[in-house]
Amino acid sequence: MRYIVAAILLFMMAGCSERLVRVMPYEKEYFAQDKMKINPLDERAEQEGHIFLIREASAGGDSAFQGGCGCR
Amino acid sequence: MRTLIIILALIANLTAGVVEGDKAIGFSLKELSGSKSYTMDDFKGEVVLLNLWASWCSGCKEEMPEFYKLQKQYPKGFKIVAVSIDSDAQKSRDFLSSVEEELGMRRPFIVLLDSEKKLPKSYRCIGMPSSYLIDKEGVIRKIIVGSLDSEDIDALRHDIDALR
Repeated sequence: MRYIVAAILLFMMAGCSERLVRVMPYEKEYFAQDKMKINPLDERAEQEGHIFLIREASAGGDSAFQGGCGCR
Repeated sequence: MRTLIIILALIANLTAGVVEGDKAIGFSLKELSGSKSYTMDDFKGEVVLLNLWASWCSGCKEEMPEFYKLQKQYPKGFKIVAVSIDSDAQKSRDFLSSVEEELGMRRPFIVLLDSEKKLPKSYRCIGMPSSYLIDKEGVIRKIIVGSLDSEDIDALRHDIDALR
């Protein structure tokens, strides 16, 4: 009985296999496309950053520099 | 308890990737430009650098010109077998054409196409690009994950010389 339970548990754990839950490096073809970037258009990203900075008065808030709290 | 340990060991073994010292995994793949098929047996008696690459992988693109130069230095006894895993073969062809144009030389090595990604799956490749240095007996001697720069190529040259 113990072995059956162990076998069932192993079978269930197989669903957590790294190969099933993680996108393997050779499967990243579509992730590597430009359109998958958070900001696919560089020109637009720059413009959006500028607007964000003025509207939110949050210099540095869009990067790792400073706290991003909008308090300068 | 012992049975459980054996089962766990078997599962761990089944999910493990290839390691240095393992036999190279066989394949039968067609050329990127052409209809000729190649198997691992076609390269028996030669030192082989099996390279898994794709045109969407920036590291693969960086190291490709180095392979052109490396193969030129070894006209005999060493072969680079580059396996493209691109779904769209034309993207691979376009990239290789751009490298040839840039270097001013024709491709000196074989490029195979594996759109179904069978080879990286069977090698359980953990990064792109991945290269496997295989000796004359078909045993994997070195596994290199990530792109190779000119310094790495120098180190690789020593390994090739030792195996030839």
